[in-house]
Amino acid sequence: MGSRSFSATVTNRGGELSSLDESLPEPTGAEVLPGESVRTSEVMSSLDHHEKGIPTSDAGLGMTIFDCQDVEVFYGSHQAIRDVSLSFGLREVTALIGPSGCGKSTFLRCLNRMNDLIPGAKVGGHVIYHGQDLYAPEIDPVQVRKRIGMVFQKPNPFPKSIYDNVAFGPRVVGMEGDMDEIVERALVRGALWEEVKDRLDENAFGMSGGQQQRLCIARALATDPDVLLMDEPCSALDPISTGRIEDLMSELKERISIVIVTHNMQQAARVSDKTAFFNVELAADEKSRTGVVVEYDATETIFTNPSDKRTEDYVTGKFG
Amino acid sequence: MMEAGSGEALTPHRLEYQGEIARLERDTLEGIELVVGALDRALEALAHQDIELAELVVADDDRIDGRYLQIHQGVLSLFARQAPVAGDLRLLAALLHVIRNMERMGDQCVNISKLIPVSGTAPPTDPQILSMMEEMGLAVREIVRQAMKAFQSRDADMAVDLAERDQKVNDLNKAIFRRALEVGNDLELREWAMTMTLAARCLERVGDNAVDIGEQIAFVVTGVFREFADASQAGDSRDR
Repeated sequence: MGSRSFSATVTNRGGELSSLDESLPEPTGAEVLPGESVRTSEVMSSLDHHEKGIPTSDAGLGMTIFDCQDVEVFYGSHQAIRDVSLSFGLREVTALIGPSGCGKSTFLRCLNRMNDLIPGAKVGGHVIYHGQDLYAPEIDPVQVRKRIGMVFQKPNPFPKSIYDNVAFGPRVVGMEGDMDEIVERALVRGALWEEVKDRLDENAFGMSGGQQQRLCIARALATDPDVLLMDEPCSALDPISTGRIEDLMSELKERISIVIVTHNMQQAARVSDKTAFFNVELAADEKSRTGVVVEYDATETIFTNPSDKRTEDYVTGKFG
Repeated sequence: MMEAGSGEALTPHRLEYQGEIARLERDTLEGIELVVGALDRALEALAHQDIELAELVVADDDRIDGRYLQIHQGVLSLFARQAPVAGDLRLLAALLHVIRNMERMGDQCVNISKLIPVSGTAPPTDPQILSMMEEMGLAVREIVRQAMKAFQSRDADMAVDLAERDQKVNDLNKAIFRRALEVGNDLELREWAMTMTLAARCLERVGDNAVDIGEQIAFVVTGVFREFADASQAGDSRDR
Protein backbone atom coordinates (compact mmCIF):
# COMPACT_ATOMS: atom_id res chain seq x y z
CA MET A 1 0.00 0.00 0.00
CA GLY A 2 1.02 3.58 -0.45
CA SER A 3 2.72 5.21 2.44
CA ARG A 4 0.34 8.13 2.39
CA SER A 5 -3.40 8.04 2.59
CA PHE A 6 -5.40 11.14 2.99
CA SER A 7 -8.91 12.37 2.98
CA ALA A 8 -9.90 14.34 -0.04
CA THR A 9 -13.24 15.78 0.86
CA VAL A 10 -14.70 18.66 -1.03
CA THR A 11 -13.41 21.95 0.21
CA ASN A 12 -14.62 25.42 -0.51
CA ARG A 13 -12.48 25.38 -3.59
CA GLY A 14 -15.30 23.54 -5.24
CA GLY A 15 -15.06 22.08 -8.70
CA GLU A 16 -13.87 23.52 -11.89
CA LEU A 17 -17.10 25.34 -12.60
CA SER A 18 -17.67 26.86 -9.19
CA SER A 19 -14.11 28.09 -9.05
CA LEU A 20 -14.71 30.04 -12.22
CA ASP A 21 -14.67 33.46 -10.65
CA GLU A 22 -12.48 32.72 -7.69
CA SER A 23 -8.90 33.66 -7.79
CA LEU A 24 -6.90 30.49 -7.75
CA PRO A 25 -5.59 29.52 -4.35
CA GLU A 26 -1.90 29.96 -3.98
CA PRO A 27 0.15 26.91 -3.20
CA THR A 28 0.82 26.52 0.48
CA GLY A 29 4.55 26.62 0.35
CA ALA A 30 7.78 24.87 -0.30
CA GLU A 31 8.38 23.52 3.17
CA VAL A 32 5.76 20.78 3.18
CA LEU A 33 7.78 17.63 2.80
CA PRO A 34 11.49 17.14 2.84
CA GLY A 35 12.69 16.23 -0.59
CA GLU A 36 9.48 17.43 -2.16
CA SER A 37 10.04 21.10 -1.75
CA VAL A 38 8.63 22.13 -5.08
CA ARG A 39 5.88 24.67 -5.07
CA THR A 40 2.69 23.77 -6.88
CA SER A 41 3.05 26.63 -9.29
CA GLU A 42 6.54 25.51 -10.16
CA VAL A 43 5.50 21.89 -10.46
CA MET A 44 2.54 22.63 -12.59
CA SER A 45 4.26 25.18 -14.74
CA SER A 46 6.90 22.60 -15.42
CA LEU A 47 4.05 20.59 -16.88
CA ASP A 48 3.01 23.42 -19.15
CA HIS A 49 4.09 22.14 -22.48
CA HIS A 50 2.78 24.96 -24.58
CA GLU A 51 5.85 26.94 -23.69
CA LYS A 52 8.55 24.45 -24.31
CA GLY A 53 6.59 22.35 -26.76
CA ILE A 54 5.91 18.66 -26.63
CA PRO A 55 8.56 16.53 -28.26
CA THR A 56 7.22 15.15 -31.50
CA SER A 57 10.17 13.05 -32.56
CA ASP A 58 10.39 9.44 -31.57
CA ALA A 59 12.94 10.38 -28.97
CA GLY A 60 10.45 10.61 -26.14
CA LEU A 61 8.57 7.48 -27.12
CA GLY A 62 8.43 5.00 -24.29
CA MET A 63 8.86 7.79 -21.77
CA THR A 64 6.52 7.41 -18.82
CA ILE A 65 3.98 10.16 -18.21
CA PHE A 66 1.97 8.55 -15.47
CA ASP A 67 3.34 6.07 -13.00
CA CYS A 68 0.65 4.80 -10.65
CA GLN A 69 1.66 2.66 -7.70
CA ASP A 70 -0.72 0.72 -5.49
CA VAL A 71 -3.55 3.13 -6.05
CA GLU A 72 -6.62 2.47 -3.93
CA VAL A 73 -9.86 4.37 -3.54
CA PHE A 74 -12.35 4.20 -0.70
CA TYR A 75 -15.82 5.64 -0.85
CA GLY A 76 -16.54 5.83 2.85
CA SER A 77 -15.80 2.34 4.13
CA HIS A 78 -16.21 0.71 0.72
CA GLN A 79 -13.01 -0.01 -1.11
CA ALA A 80 -13.71 0.68 -4.79
CA ILE A 81 -10.29 -0.26 -6.20
CA ARG A 82 -7.06 -1.58 -4.77
CA ASP A 83 -3.48 -2.34 -5.76
CA VAL A 84 -3.75 -0.60 -9.10
CA SER A 85 -0.24 -0.16 -10.45
CA LEU A 86 -0.14 1.01 -14.05
CA SER A 87 2.09 3.31 -15.99
CA PHE A 88 1.25 5.17 -19.16
CA GLY A 89 3.77 6.21 -21.76
CA LEU A 90 4.20 9.25 -23.93
CA ARG A 91 2.07 9.26 -27.08
CA GLU A 92 0.35 6.05 -26.15
CA VAL A 93 -3.35 5.33 -26.10
CA THR A 94 -4.26 3.14 -23.17
CA ALA A 95 -7.70 1.57 -22.91
CA LEU A 96 -9.21 0.60 -19.57
CA ILE A 97 -11.76 -2.15 -20.04
CA GLY A 98 -13.80 -4.33 -17.71
CA PRO A 99 -17.33 -5.05 -16.56
CA SER A 100 -19.53 -2.42 -14.95
CA GLY A 101 -18.51 -1.53 -11.43
CA CYS A 102 -14.94 -2.74 -11.76
CA GLY A 103 -13.47 0.66 -10.97
CA LYS A 104 -12.15 1.78 -14.35
CA SER A 105 -13.76 5.21 -14.13
CA THR A 106 -12.84 5.49 -10.48
CA PHE A 107 -9.22 4.89 -11.39
CA LEU A 108 -9.37 7.31 -14.32
CA ARG A 109 -10.65 10.00 -11.99
CA CYS A 110 -7.60 9.47 -9.78
CA LEU A 111 -5.41 10.66 -12.63
CA ASN A 112 -6.63 14.24 -12.41
CA ARG A 113 -7.90 14.27 -8.83
CA MET A 114 -11.50 14.18 -9.89
CA ASN A 115 -12.31 11.86 -6.99
CA ASP A 116 -11.59 14.74 -4.66
CA LEU A 117 -14.96 16.12 -5.67
CA ILE A 118 -16.80 13.11 -4.29
CA PRO A 119 -17.61 13.49 -0.60
CA GLY A 120 -16.04 10.75 1.48
CA ALA A 121 -13.68 9.62 -1.24
CA LYS A 122 -10.19 8.67 -0.07
CA VAL A 123 -7.33 7.96 -2.41
CA GLY A 124 -4.23 6.03 -1.37
CA GLY A 125 -1.05 5.03 -3.12
CA HIS A 126 0.85 7.17 -5.55
CA VAL A 127 -0.10 8.82 -8.79
CA ILE A 128 3.18 10.10 -10.17
CA TYR A 129 2.84 12.50 -13.08
CA HIS A 130 6.17 13.49 -14.64
CA GLY A 131 7.92 12.51 -11.44
CA GLN A 132 5.57 14.49 -9.19
CA ASP A 133 3.07 12.82 -6.88
CA LEU A 134 -0.22 14.48 -7.75
CA TYR A 135 -1.51 13.71 -4.27
CA ALA A 136 1.38 15.38 -2.47
CA PRO A 137 0.06 17.91 0.03
CA GLU A 138 1.48 20.90 -1.77
CA ILE A 139 -0.35 20.07 -4.99
CA ASP A 140 -3.54 21.98 -5.69
CA PRO A 141 -6.16 19.65 -7.16
CA VAL A 142 -7.87 22.47 -9.01
CA GLN A 143 -4.64 23.16 -10.87
CA VAL A 144 -4.32 19.47 -11.64
CA ARG A 145 -7.78 19.34 -13.19
CA LYS A 146 -7.03 22.42 -15.21
CA ARG A 147 -3.92 20.84 -16.67
CA ILE A 148 -5.19 17.31 -17.16
CA GLY A 149 -8.48 17.46 -18.96
CA MET A 150 -11.18 14.85 -19.01
CA VAL A 151 -13.84 14.13 -21.60
CA PHE A 152 -16.99 12.49 -20.34
CA GLN A 153 -19.58 10.09 -21.66
CA LYS A 154 -22.09 12.86 -22.19
CA PRO A 155 -20.82 15.99 -23.87
CA ASN A 156 -20.87 18.76 -21.25
CA PRO A 157 -20.18 22.08 -22.91
CA PHE A 158 -20.63 25.20 -20.82
CA PRO A 159 -23.74 27.27 -21.66
CA LYS A 160 -21.54 29.73 -23.47
CA SER A 161 -20.40 30.45 -26.97
CA ILE A 162 -18.22 27.97 -28.81
CA TYR A 163 -15.34 30.42 -28.52
CA ASP A 164 -15.74 30.93 -24.80
CA ASN A 165 -15.96 27.21 -24.18
CA VAL A 166 -12.52 26.74 -25.70
CA ALA A 167 -11.04 29.95 -24.28
CA PHE A 168 -12.17 29.10 -20.77
CA GLY A 169 -9.23 26.92 -19.77
CA PRO A 170 -6.49 29.07 -21.32
CA ARG A 171 -7.93 32.16 -19.62
CA VAL A 172 -8.10 30.51 -16.22
CA VAL A 173 -4.54 29.22 -16.36
CA GLY A 174 -3.38 32.54 -17.77
CA MET A 175 -1.97 31.20 -21.01
CA GLU A 176 0.01 33.77 -22.90
CA GLY A 177 -0.44 34.57 -26.55
CA ASP A 178 -3.24 35.56 -28.85
CA MET A 179 -6.47 34.01 -27.58
CA ASP A 180 -7.98 33.81 -31.08
CA GLU A 181 -5.03 31.74 -32.17
CA ILE A 182 -5.20 29.53 -29.11
CA VAL A 183 -8.91 28.89 -29.73
CA GLU A 184 -8.37 28.19 -33.41
CA ARG A 185 -5.49 25.83 -32.71
CA ALA A 186 -7.56 23.88 -30.19
CA LEU A 187 -10.55 23.66 -32.53
CA VAL A 188 -8.32 22.51 -35.38
CA ARG A 189 -6.85 19.82 -33.15
CA GLY A 190 -10.36 18.89 -32.07
CA ALA A 191 -11.27 18.41 -35.77
CA LEU A 192 -14.03 21.00 -35.41
CA TRP A 193 -12.58 24.21 -36.83
CA GLU A 194 -13.91 23.86 -40.38
CA GLU A 195 -17.40 23.21 -39.09
CA VAL A 196 -17.61 26.08 -36.63
CA LYS A 197 -15.19 28.79 -37.75
CA ASP A 198 -18.03 30.98 -39.02
CA ARG A 199 -20.16 30.68 -35.92
CA LEU A 200 -17.77 30.87 -33.01
CA ASP A 201 -20.08 33.16 -31.08
CA GLU A 202 -23.03 30.82 -31.26
CA ASN A 203 -24.08 28.89 -28.19
CA ALA A 204 -22.42 25.51 -27.90
CA PHE A 205 -25.75 23.91 -27.09
CA GLY A 206 -26.81 24.41 -30.70
CA MET A 207 -24.29 21.87 -31.91
CA SER A 208 -24.92 18.19 -32.59
CA GLY A 209 -23.90 15.64 -29.97
CA GLY A 210 -20.83 14.59 -31.90
CA GLN A 211 -19.80 18.22 -32.40
CA GLN A 212 -20.35 18.96 -28.71
CA GLN A 213 -18.10 16.06 -27.80
CA ARG A 214 -15.37 17.29 -30.13
CA LEU A 215 -15.82 20.73 -28.59
CA CYS A 216 -15.23 19.19 -25.17
CA ILE A 217 -12.09 17.56 -26.54
CA ALA A 218 -10.96 20.87 -28.03
CA ARG A 219 -11.67 22.54 -24.70
CA ALA A 220 -9.54 19.96 -22.91
CA LEU A 221 -6.76 20.45 -25.48
CA ALA A 222 -6.79 24.22 -25.29
CA THR A 223 -4.38 24.36 -22.37
CA ASP A 224 -1.99 22.13 -24.31
CA PRO A 225 -1.89 19.17 -21.95
CA ASP A 226 0.26 16.16 -22.76
CA VAL A 227 -2.43 13.73 -21.67
CA LEU A 228 -6.15 13.49 -22.22
CA LEU A 229 -8.47 11.38 -20.09
CA MET A 230 -11.61 10.05 -21.74
CA ASP A 231 -14.44 8.32 -19.91
CA GLU A 232 -16.55 6.45 -22.46
CA PRO A 233 -16.39 9.41 -24.82
CA CYS A 234 -18.37 7.76 -27.61
CA SER A 235 -21.05 5.83 -25.78
CA ALA A 236 -23.65 8.55 -26.46
CA LEU A 237 -22.62 9.03 -30.08
CA ASP A 238 -23.71 7.50 -33.38
CA PRO A 239 -21.21 5.40 -35.39
CA ILE A 240 -20.23 8.29 -37.69
CA SER A 241 -19.45 10.62 -34.79
CA THR A 242 -17.71 7.75 -33.02
CA GLY A 243 -15.54 7.20 -36.08
CA ARG A 244 -14.63 10.90 -36.11
CA ILE A 245 -13.62 10.83 -32.47
CA GLU A 246 -11.56 7.69 -33.02
CA ASP A 247 -9.82 9.30 -36.01
CA LEU A 248 -9.22 12.33 -33.87
CA MET A 249 -7.67 10.16 -31.18
CA SER A 250 -5.15 8.71 -33.62
CA GLU A 251 -4.24 12.23 -34.72
CA LEU A 252 -3.90 13.45 -31.15
CA LYS A 253 -1.71 10.47 -30.35
CA GLU A 254 0.99 12.01 -32.50
CA ARG A 255 1.51 14.51 -29.70
CA ILE A 256 -0.20 13.45 -26.52
CA SER A 257 -1.13 10.42 -24.47
CA ILE A 258 -4.71 9.29 -24.04
CA VAL A 259 -6.22 7.13 -21.35
CA ILE A 260 -9.69 5.98 -22.33
CA VAL A 261 -12.33 4.04 -20.45
CA THR A 262 -14.55 2.18 -22.88
CA HIS A 263 -17.18 -0.51 -22.75
CA ASN A 264 -16.85 -1.03 -26.47
CA MET A 265 -14.21 -3.67 -26.81
CA GLN A 266 -13.85 -3.25 -30.52
CA GLN A 267 -13.18 0.41 -29.88
CA ALA A 268 -10.50 -0.51 -27.37
CA ALA A 269 -9.00 -2.90 -29.92
CA ARG A 270 -9.14 -0.26 -32.66
CA VAL A 271 -7.77 2.79 -30.91
CA SER A 272 -5.43 1.71 -28.14
CA ASP A 273 -1.81 0.61 -27.95
CA LYS A 274 -2.13 -0.92 -24.52
CA THR A 275 -5.10 -2.30 -22.67
CA ALA A 276 -5.67 -2.81 -18.97
CA PHE A 277 -8.39 -5.24 -17.98
CA PHE A 278 -10.10 -4.45 -14.67
CA ASN A 279 -12.32 -6.90 -12.85
CA VAL A 280 -14.17 -7.03 -9.56
CA GLU A 281 -13.00 -9.21 -6.76
CA LEU A 282 -14.84 -10.06 -3.59
CA ALA A 283 -13.30 -8.18 -0.69
CA ALA A 284 -11.96 -9.99 2.36
CA ASP A 285 -15.34 -9.68 4.10
CA GLU A 286 -16.84 -11.46 1.07
CA LYS A 287 -19.61 -8.90 0.93
CA SER A 288 -18.30 -5.91 -0.93
CA ARG A 289 -16.59 -5.88 -4.30
CA THR A 290 -13.34 -4.21 -5.16
CA GLY A 291 -11.87 -3.46 -8.55
CA VAL A 292 -8.41 -4.76 -9.44
CA VAL A 293 -6.26 -4.89 -12.55
CA VAL A 294 -6.18 -8.43 -13.88
CA GLU A 295 -3.96 -7.95 -16.90
CA TYR A 296 -2.14 -5.06 -18.56
CA ASP A 297 -0.45 -5.65 -21.89
CA ALA A 298 -0.19 -4.60 -25.51
CA THR A 299 -3.70 -4.35 -26.96
CA GLU A 300 -2.88 -6.90 -29.63
CA THR A 301 -1.85 -9.39 -26.99
CA ILE A 302 -4.98 -8.78 -24.91
CA PHE A 303 -7.18 -9.41 -27.93
CA THR A 304 -5.31 -12.31 -29.53
CA ASN A 305 -3.54 -14.14 -26.74
CA PRO A 306 -4.34 -12.87 -23.26
CA SER A 307 -2.46 -14.66 -20.51
CA ASP A 308 -5.19 -14.63 -17.87
CA LYS A 309 -8.26 -16.82 -18.21
CA ARG A 310 -10.47 -14.05 -16.78
CA THR A 311 -9.30 -11.65 -19.48
CA GLU A 312 -9.98 -14.28 -22.12
CA ASP A 313 -13.47 -14.89 -20.76
CA TYR A 314 -14.24 -11.20 -20.66
CA VAL A 315 -12.99 -10.17 -24.11
CA THR A 316 -14.62 -13.18 -25.76
CA GLY A 317 -17.90 -12.28 -24.11
CA LYS A 318 -18.13 -15.30 -21.83
CA PHE A 319 -19.11 -13.02 -18.97
CA GLY A 320 -19.79 -9.39 -18.27
CA MET B 1 -11.54 -15.29 -4.99
CA MET B 2 -12.26 -13.73 -8.32
CA GLU B 3 -15.78 -13.47 -9.51
CA ALA B 4 -16.83 -13.54 -13.08
CA GLY B 5 -17.40 -9.85 -13.65
CA SER B 6 -20.79 -8.68 -12.62
CA GLY B 7 -21.76 -12.31 -12.27
CA GLU B 8 -24.01 -12.28 -15.28
CA ALA B 9 -24.40 -15.51 -17.16
CA LEU B 10 -23.94 -15.69 -20.90
CA THR B 11 -26.59 -13.79 -22.78
CA PRO B 12 -28.62 -15.81 -25.30
CA HIS B 13 -26.76 -13.93 -27.98
CA ARG B 14 -23.35 -14.96 -26.71
CA LEU B 15 -24.56 -18.50 -26.07
CA GLU B 16 -25.58 -18.74 -29.70
CA TYR B 17 -22.19 -17.38 -30.75
CA GLN B 18 -20.34 -19.95 -28.64
CA GLY B 19 -22.64 -22.61 -30.09
CA GLU B 20 -21.77 -21.54 -33.62
CA ILE B 21 -18.04 -21.73 -32.91
CA ALA B 22 -18.43 -25.20 -31.41
CA ARG B 23 -20.51 -26.32 -34.39
CA LEU B 24 -17.89 -25.10 -36.88
CA GLU B 25 -15.19 -27.02 -35.03
CA ARG B 26 -17.38 -30.14 -34.96
CA ASP B 27 -18.09 -29.80 -38.67
CA THR B 28 -14.37 -29.51 -39.36
CA LEU B 29 -13.56 -32.63 -37.38
CA GLU B 30 -16.34 -34.48 -39.17
CA GLY B 31 -14.84 -33.27 -42.44
CA ILE B 32 -11.51 -34.82 -41.48
CA GLU B 33 -13.42 -37.99 -40.60
CA LEU B 34 -14.73 -37.94 -44.18
CA VAL B 35 -11.12 -37.71 -45.34
CA VAL B 36 -10.20 -40.77 -43.27
CA GLY B 37 -13.05 -42.63 -44.97
CA ALA B 38 -11.87 -41.52 -48.41
CA LEU B 39 -8.33 -42.56 -47.53
CA ASP B 40 -9.47 -46.04 -46.46
CA ARG B 41 -11.36 -46.51 -49.71
CA ALA B 42 -8.57 -45.17 -51.86
CA LEU B 43 -6.06 -47.51 -50.23
CA GLU B 44 -8.36 -50.47 -50.61
CA ALA B 45 -9.11 -49.60 -54.22
CA LEU B 46 -5.38 -49.33 -54.87
CA ALA B 47 -4.61 -52.67 -53.22
CA HIS B 48 -7.35 -54.51 -55.11
CA GLN B 49 -7.41 -52.56 -58.36
CA ASP B 50 -11.04 -51.78 -57.51
CA ILE B 51 -12.11 -49.23 -60.12
CA GLU B 52 -15.67 -48.89 -58.85
CA LEU B 53 -14.51 -48.09 -55.34
CA ALA B 54 -12.01 -45.62 -56.78
CA GLU B 55 -14.79 -43.87 -58.70
CA LEU B 56 -16.76 -43.61 -55.49
CA VAL B 57 -13.86 -41.80 -53.81
CA VAL B 58 -13.70 -39.34 -56.71
CA ALA B 59 -17.44 -38.70 -56.64
CA ASP B 60 -17.57 -38.44 -52.88
CA ASP B 61 -14.93 -35.73 -52.77
CA ASP B 62 -17.73 -33.25 -53.48
CA ARG B 63 -18.90 -33.78 -49.91
CA ILE B 64 -15.50 -32.75 -48.56
CA ASP B 65 -15.37 -29.75 -50.88
CA GLY B 66 -18.90 -28.80 -49.81
CA ARG B 67 -17.84 -29.06 -46.19
CA TYR B 68 -14.95 -26.73 -46.93
CA LEU B 69 -17.24 -24.09 -48.43
CA GLN B 70 -19.77 -24.39 -45.64
CA ILE B 71 -17.23 -23.96 -42.83
CA HIS B 72 -15.41 -21.21 -44.70
CA GLN B 73 -18.65 -19.26 -45.02
CA GLY B 74 -19.51 -19.92 -41.37
CA VAL B 75 -16.17 -18.57 -40.16
CA LEU B 76 -16.43 -15.46 -42.33
CA SER B 77 -19.93 -14.89 -41.04
CA LEU B 78 -18.71 -14.98 -37.44
CA PHE B 79 -15.86 -12.61 -38.30
CA ALA B 80 -18.37 -10.20 -39.78
CA ARG B 81 -21.02 -10.45 -37.11
CA GLN B 82 -19.23 -11.22 -33.86
CA ALA B 83 -15.71 -9.80 -34.15
CA PRO B 84 -14.16 -12.79 -32.37
CA VAL B 85 -11.07 -12.17 -30.23
CA ALA B 86 -8.52 -14.06 -28.14
CA GLY B 87 -9.06 -17.85 -28.02
CA ASP B 88 -12.13 -17.64 -30.24
CA LEU B 89 -10.17 -15.68 -32.82
CA ARG B 90 -7.28 -18.14 -32.78
CA LEU B 91 -9.61 -21.10 -33.13
CA LEU B 92 -11.52 -19.60 -36.05
CA ALA B 93 -8.32 -18.50 -37.79
CA ALA B 94 -6.97 -22.03 -37.31
CA LEU B 95 -10.15 -23.54 -38.73
CA LEU B 96 -9.65 -21.59 -41.94
CA HIS B 97 -6.26 -23.30 -42.31
CA VAL B 98 -7.43 -26.70 -41.18
CA ILE B 99 -10.31 -26.88 -43.67
CA ARG B 100 -7.82 -26.09 -46.41
CA ASN B 101 -5.68 -29.01 -45.24
CA MET B 102 -8.80 -31.15 -45.07
CA GLU B 103 -9.75 -30.25 -48.62
CA ARG B 104 -6.21 -30.92 -49.88
CA MET B 105 -6.11 -34.32 -48.17
CA GLY B 106 -9.41 -35.19 -49.87
CA ASP B 107 -7.89 -34.19 -53.21
CA GLN B 108 -4.90 -36.46 -52.59
CA CYS B 109 -7.28 -39.37 -52.01
CA VAL B 110 -8.86 -38.53 -55.37
CA ASN B 111 -5.41 -38.43 -56.97
CA ILE B 112 -4.61 -41.87 -55.58
CA SER B 113 -7.92 -43.21 -56.89
CA LYS B 114 -7.29 -41.81 -60.34
CA LEU B 115 -3.96 -43.66 -60.51
CA ILE B 116 -5.69 -47.02 -60.58
CA PRO B 117 -5.32 -48.23 -64.17
CA VAL B 118 -8.50 -48.70 -66.13
CA SER B 119 -6.99 -51.45 -68.30
CA GLY B 120 -9.23 -53.97 -66.63
CA THR B 121 -6.50 -56.56 -66.35
CA ALA B 122 -4.52 -56.88 -63.14
CA PRO B 123 -0.89 -55.83 -63.67
CA PRO B 124 1.99 -57.71 -62.15
CA THR B 125 2.88 -56.40 -58.68
CA ASP B 126 5.82 -56.39 -56.35
CA PRO B 127 5.14 -57.77 -52.87
CA GLN B 128 7.78 -55.54 -51.27
CA ILE B 129 6.21 -52.36 -52.63
CA LEU B 130 2.72 -53.60 -51.79
CA SER B 131 3.76 -54.24 -48.21
CA MET B 132 5.40 -50.83 -47.88
CA MET B 133 2.36 -49.15 -49.42
CA GLU B 134 0.12 -50.86 -46.89
CA GLU B 135 2.37 -49.85 -44.02
CA MET B 136 2.49 -46.30 -45.31
CA GLY B 137 -1.28 -46.12 -45.73
CA LEU B 138 -1.84 -47.27 -42.16
CA ALA B 139 0.73 -44.82 -40.81
CA VAL B 140 -0.85 -41.90 -42.67
CA ARG B 141 -4.30 -42.92 -41.49
CA GLU B 142 -3.05 -42.94 -37.88
CA ILE B 143 -1.46 -39.51 -38.28
CA VAL B 144 -4.69 -38.02 -39.60
CA ARG B 145 -6.66 -39.56 -36.76
CA GLN B 146 -4.12 -38.35 -34.21
CA ALA B 147 -4.45 -34.83 -35.64
CA MET B 148 -8.20 -35.02 -35.03
CA LYS B 149 -7.70 -36.29 -31.52
CA ALA B 150 -5.11 -33.62 -30.71
CA PHE B 151 -7.51 -30.97 -32.00
CA GLN B 152 -10.40 -32.26 -29.94
CA SER B 153 -8.34 -32.40 -26.77
CA ARG B 154 -6.29 -29.25 -27.50
CA ASP B 155 -3.19 -31.34 -26.91
CA ALA B 156 -0.14 -29.44 -28.15
CA ASP B 157 2.25 -32.28 -27.27
CA MET B 158 0.22 -34.75 -29.29
CA ALA B 159 0.24 -32.21 -32.12
CA VAL B 160 4.03 -31.89 -32.03
CA ASP B 161 4.31 -35.69 -32.04
CA LEU B 162 2.62 -35.70 -35.47
CA ALA B 163 5.85 -34.44 -37.02
CA GLU B 164 7.76 -37.32 -35.44
CA ARG B 165 5.33 -39.86 -36.82
CA ASP B 166 5.37 -38.22 -40.22
CA GLN B 167 9.07 -38.98 -40.39
CA LYS B 168 8.25 -42.67 -40.82
CA VAL B 169 5.90 -41.83 -43.70
CA ASN B 170 8.60 -39.81 -45.39
CA ASP B 171 11.08 -42.65 -44.99
CA LEU B 172 8.64 -45.14 -46.53
CA ASN B 173 8.05 -42.77 -49.42
CA LYS B 174 11.77 -42.76 -50.18
CA ALA B 175 12.05 -46.52 -49.71
CA ILE B 176 9.24 -47.13 -52.19
CA PHE B 177 10.93 -44.86 -54.69
CA ARG B 178 14.23 -46.73 -54.33
CA ARG B 179 12.53 -50.11 -54.64
CA ALA B 180 10.72 -48.94 -57.79
CA LEU B 181 14.10 -48.18 -59.36
CA GLU B 182 15.24 -51.74 -58.79
CA VAL B 183 12.02 -53.56 -59.55
CA GLY B 184 13.32 -55.26 -62.68
CA ASN B 185 13.02 -55.14 -66.44
CA ASP B 186 9.38 -56.15 -66.92
CA LEU B 187 7.82 -53.10 -68.58
CA GLU B 188 4.38 -53.65 -67.06
CA LEU B 189 5.81 -54.17 -63.60
CA ARG B 190 7.90 -51.02 -63.93
CA GLU B 191 4.87 -49.05 -65.00
CA TRP B 192 2.97 -50.33 -61.99
CA ALA B 193 5.87 -49.49 -59.68
CA MET B 194 6.00 -45.96 -61.11
CA THR B 195 2.31 -45.58 -60.37
CA MET B 196 2.98 -46.71 -56.81
CA THR B 197 5.63 -44.03 -56.35
CA LEU B 198 3.05 -41.46 -57.43
CA ALA B 199 0.50 -42.88 -54.98
CA ALA B 200 3.13 -42.91 -52.23
CA ARG B 201 3.83 -39.28 -52.98
CA CYS B 202 0.10 -38.55 -52.51
CA LEU B 203 0.14 -40.33 -49.16
CA GLU B 204 3.21 -38.41 -48.11
CA ARG B 205 1.35 -35.16 -48.89
CA VAL B 206 -1.59 -36.29 -46.76
CA GLY B 207 0.83 -36.77 -43.89
CA ASP B 208 2.26 -33.28 -44.39
CA ASN B 209 -1.23 -31.78 -44.31
CA ALA B 210 -1.92 -33.58 -41.04
CA VAL B 211 1.29 -32.12 -39.59
CA ASP B 212 0.15 -28.68 -40.74
CA ILE B 213 -3.06 -29.23 -38.82
CA GLY B 214 -0.89 -30.02 -35.82
CA GLU B 215 0.83 -26.65 -36.20
CA GLN B 216 -2.56 -24.96 -36.10
CA ILE B 217 -3.49 -26.90 -32.97
CA ALA B 218 -0.32 -25.70 -31.28
CA PHE B 219 -1.22 -22.15 -32.36
CA VAL B 220 -4.69 -22.43 -30.87
CA VAL B 221 -3.27 -23.71 -27.60
CA THR B 222 -0.19 -21.51 -27.21
CA GLY B 223 -1.03 -18.45 -29.28
CA VAL B 224 2.31 -18.79 -31.05
CA PHE B 225 2.64 -20.15 -34.57
CA ARG B 226 5.73 -22.12 -35.43
CA GLU B 227 6.49 -24.68 -38.09
CA PHE B 228 7.17 -28.11 -36.74
CA ALA B 229 9.40 -28.85 -39.70
CA ASP B 230 12.26 -26.82 -38.27
CA ALA B 231 12.14 -28.61 -34.96
CA SER B 232 11.77 -32.11 -36.32
CA GLN B 233 13.91 -31.74 -39.36
CA ALA B 234 16.99 -33.90 -39.34
CA GLY B 235 18.03 -33.58 -42.92
CA ASP B 236 15.08 -33.15 -45.26
CA SER B 237 12.46 -35.03 -43.35
CA ARG B 238 9.51 -33.30 -44.90
CA ASP B 239 9.97 -33.92 -48.59
CA ARG B 240 8.31 -30.79 -49.84
